[in-house]
Amino acid sequence: MFLTTPPKRLAFLGRPGDLFVVLLVNMLLTFITLGLYYPWAKARRLSWYYEHTELDGHPFHFHGTGNEMFKGFIKAIGLLLLIYGTYIVGVLMEEVKLVVIGVLVMFVGLLLFIPLIIHGSLRYRSSRSSWRGIHFGYRGQLKELYRICLRDGLLTLITVGIYGSWLTIHLRNYTVGHLRYGSTSFRYKGDGAAFFLLNLKGYLLTVFTLGIYGFWWQRDLFNYYVNNLSWEHPDGKRIQFRSTATGGGFFSLMLVNVLIVVFTLGIGFAWAEVRTMRFVLEHIALDGDADLNAVVQTEQEHKNAMADDLGDLLDIGVFI
Amino acid sequence: MERTVQAIYYDGATSKPQEATVRVREMNTLEVELPDGGCFQWPLEHKGMEWERSSAMLRLSFGDHPRRVLLIRDEPFIQSFVLRMRYAGRQGVYDRALAVARSGPVLFFLGVVALLICSYLWFLPWAAERLALLVPRTLDERIGEAAFDQMALGLPIDSARTVSLQAFGDAMELSPSFEPTYHVVKDDQVNAFALPGGHIVVFTGILDRMASADELAALLAHEATHVEERHSTRMLARSMAGYLFLSLLIGDVNAVVAMVADNANALRNLGYGRGLETEADRIGQEQLLKNGVDPMAMVGLLELLEREAEDMPEALAFLSSHPLTQERIAAARTRARELGTPQAPNDRLEVLFRPLIAAQPTEAMPSSAN
Repeated sequence: MFLTTPPKRLAFLGRPGDLFVVLLVNMLLTFITLGLYYPWAKARRLSWYYEHTELDGHPFHFHGTGNEMFKGFIKAIGLLLLIYGTYIVGVLMEEVKLVVIGVLVMFVGLLLFIPLIIHGSLRYRSSRSSWRGIHFGYRGQLKELYRICLRDGLLTLITVGIYGSWLTIHLRNYTVGHLRYGSTSFRYKGDGAAFFLLNLKGYLLTVFTLGIYGFWWQRDLFNYYVNNLSWEHPDGKRIQFRSTATGGGFFSLMLVNVLIVVFTLGIGFAWAEVRTMRFVLEHIALDGDADLNAVVQTEQEHKNAMADDLGDLLDIGVFI
Repeated sequence: MERTVQAIYYDGATSKPQEATVRVREMNTLEVELPDGGCFQWPLEHKGMEWERSSAMLRLSFGDHPRRVLLIRDEPFIQSFVLRMRYAGRQGVYDRALAVARSGPVLFFLGVVALLICSYLWFLPWAAERLALLVPRTLDERIGEAAFDQMALGLPIDSARTVSLQAFGDAMELSPSFEPTYHVVKDDQVNAFALPGGHIVVFTGILDRMASADELAALLAHEATHVEERHSTRMLARSMAGYLFLSLLIGDVNAVVAMVADNANALRNLGYGRGLETEADRIGQEQLLKNGVDPMAMVGLLELLEREAEDMPEALAFLSSHPLTQERIAAARTRARELGTPQAPNDRLEVLFRPLIAAQPTEAMPSSAN
């Protein structure tokens, strides 16, 4: 009686009108409190997306609260002030030396933040997500993330950006590979060279077709993401994710979304957003005969939202 | 809530969902029965019990991590449950606001838009004005100083009469918090203006039309009140608030900086509006009485301005509330009667007034006006 979607399918059941109302209430409360409500609004928004995303007819759940995110928000601001502090003091005192040191501290500090943000954000978000009462989790090591970021970051710098494709894939292999859902885990087997060629082809064809191939490039990126992802169960069985998205599908999705947002002066944002969610989730198929009922709870709670908020403040999205 | 509904139960140990039967036993307890025959109580008034309602689902959870969860999708049950929780005071502000919004999305949207417009038009300027009054008075002086320095180059100062006017002003005590600095400017406009912090500029156009020392005293008292009561700072804050709001909405901080610079220059043309002009008249009259001048002089000044304004419609900055001048005159007359006449008239003012009219320079006086 509860199966609103076919077995082993993802679906997005949120209605745009409802999202519109949720965003409106968030905006109202954030405005009235002069922005202070932001962390709570964020928690409510995320919660709405999770609640309306279903797998196998069962919704996901976001456990994060505004209180957690507010604490994280304060800590993140403190950390940023620390990093910006030298620079600000230097400017106020009109000390050139201090300004130079401040800029260096800022630059190095922000770079060093990136692995921290990825790590902390993944830990927080995954721990605060559940499906059928079983929590997700992230068991990666911060040290290892720093190793990848420093090594590949340096190589990317030396190769004038070319190695960036490898950096992305190495990060994805590592982070997704350490994501857990109770007693099960995930695996991503990307290849830097293949990803680089995909991007090179996408870039060149997009230029030659005056941007039209951009939608097919987008499809290739999406396919590369989904098709290399699998869900490993402890009994050796696995579920392989498979993309069914087409370039034409991306074309109509994006074109109509732009039209909606432009012609409603932004008010139709929620409608565009829901169309995207539906498109993405409906074009991910799950193949395999693993038993979704046999997963056991294993992951601990992690309630520190600082890294997640820091990523928010610096506008670094952690959607690997 | 006297019902039995089907629910989905997650026990928090495994991912296996169970189809549970939920019964309302007492007011504060649900009874959950599982397919394997297991049965347990689910307290509603317990600190560890949390509930969330999304658009089509009710989610109850209980206990420490990992929590046990019940999902219910029976709409009538959900509605009576939410009502019950509301009466028990367990529905937060957010959920209430959301419930209201969901019951009438279009109306709610229009409400939010109306709220934004209202706060832009009224609340923000009001709040900015209150905030400006908390700022130390030294800021007024800095703004006024900067604005005066910028416009001083373009103003043909009559230095001889400026000295006389300063002497005239110094003979009175008009602004306890500031030390007014007076300037006479060669200009035929029937006008005068005050900058925040104490610069008061009087045009020869108005000075030459004055019949008595009392009228000049009234003019200075009026302008000094603008300074003392920080009218410019308040108006500046008001006009900046709306701009600030718009700039923040479109995220353009540079525009804010440019606007502050613009406003410093626009200070002289700032209209105070009817309320503040009347306040300047009223408090100015009280100052006149304290300084030994008949408060009725304010009536004389306003009548002079009204007469001249008819001839010179372009010189209305001082009279930004021009059509209401009759009202202002009437109010000033009533106030003057209430205040009465000074016990010891200030005789020095008449003496100090003489050099101001005696030294009339002719070159700045176009013949047409008088």
